[in-house]
Amino acid sequence: MNLFEFCYGIIHWLVDLVNNLWYRLGDTLPWYFGDFFTAVGDFAASDGHLTFMTILLECIIIILVALINVLNFLWIFRKLSGRILDFYGPYYVGYRIGGWLQNLADGIKLFVKEIIVPKKADRLGYLLAPIIYVGSSLLILSVIPLSENFGLSTNESGEYVTAGALFALAAFSIAPFAILLAGWSSNNKYTLIGGMRSAAQMMSYEIPLILCAASVFLVAGSFNFVDIVDAQHDIWFLIPLFIGFVVFLICLIAEVEIIPFDLPEAEAELVEGWTTEYGGMKFGLFYMTTAIRSYAGGALATAFFLGGWHGPSFIPDEIWFLIKAYIVYTVFMWLTWSVPRVRIDQMLGVGWRRLLPLAVLNLFIAAVLKSGGWI
Amino acid sequence: MTWELIVFLFLASAALLSALWVIAAKEIVHSVIGLVTCFIAIGCLFIMLNAEFVAIVQFLVYVGAVTIVILFGIMLTRREIMESEKK
Repeated sequence: MNLFEFCYGIIHWLVDLVNNLWYRLGDTLPWYFGDFFTAVGDFAASDGHLTFMTILLECIIIILVALINVLNFLWIFRKLSGRILDFYGPYYVGYRIGGWLQNLADGIKLFVKEIIVPKKADRLGYLLAPIIYVGSSLLILSVIPLSENFGLSTNESGEYVTAGALFALAAFSIAPFAILLAGWSSNNKYTLIGGMRSAAQMMSYEIPLILCAASVFLVAGSFNFVDIVDAQHDIWFLIPLFIGFVVFLICLIAEVEIIPFDLPEAEAELVEGWTTEYGGMKFGLFYMTTAIRSYAGGALATAFFLGGWHGPSFIPDEIWFLIKAYIVYTVFMWLTWSVPRVRIDQMLGVGWRRLLPLAVLNLFIAAVLKSGGWI
Repeated sequence: MTWELIVFLFLASAALLSALWVIAAKEIVHSVIGLVTCFIAIGCLFIMLNAEFVAIVQFLVYVGAVTIVILFGIMLTRREIMESEKK
């Protein structure tokens, strides 16, 4: 049973239940009300409405599961930084589960803070930027399936969104717009510099990222997550496209802005970068979105290079996918606390002069392997 | 009047109004917000025409790249951060 059938069952049951009461209510009223009641009930039971509500429920379930994973990621981030920098990390809130509830406590604290808009800020851009940033990041999560049966599909056969992998990359690339908007509309030198840095970094690292993804699409012969993972049944793309995997990981680190490449938020130079003027839950949203993008990045790397949900069958497919995504994130964290921050010209130099040629070389290797029929 | 027509009218009017706002906005960055709205509305129209791939490429190229290049152009060529601050 896949997610669509599960959700369709729930919605169908719910509509039947409500319609039963609804028709009975309509029968007790005069005929002109009763006709209206019948029309509404028939619309609710129609096929299009049921499918629409099913897809809505699927989205809600997928986003909820993803957000629980994001909470785990934030907890891993704080706990692992503690282990590496020799302190405990979150400890007392949720003492028995390793301080897991600390993030919820912080979230509640941020929610009850006052919403302040700086006087000289541009109101429209200032309030719109977090919405675009969070929304575009949640869009990435909605198309990533955790297994063949757990993903966003529009019919019973479980065919997932056409070109879902490309859609995830497209949603990834909307973020620089939100960041530049946030940096500009806060009307502050530091935020503007942070926003410009961030946009320059994201633009220059997006090109090798998408080229590496293109090599995967070329070898798998599809833009669909399920087809890409099925193509890795015999051998993970990690092995033939090793260069691509390394370039992809480095580009992901730059895209989610964690430490070796966190120039847009460099605390020592730019206060807090482009989030300086944001307070309360708006800052909380930015903070959460970093974790959302880390999760999305780990999931993309897993689906493209690490064999997705393939693994020995004593663990369910979904858990295999999550384990691999968590491992990718742990490697990110390990890098974060082991290497220093680079300079902006060094970072752009690496992006354009090293990673881009390597990505093109990787695409060439993929084309040779595919046309030779070795993969 | 079908649901499809209502969705089409909504998307088409969103595209047209945001395109007008691109011309009418005082701050030039607001024009860029209008431009992005216009691009996204057009991408959704492509989805209505069953052309998902064109829609995704529209998001990837226009929203992801062209807009950022335009914003870069604006921010690298202006001396004041905001138009309203000009004396």
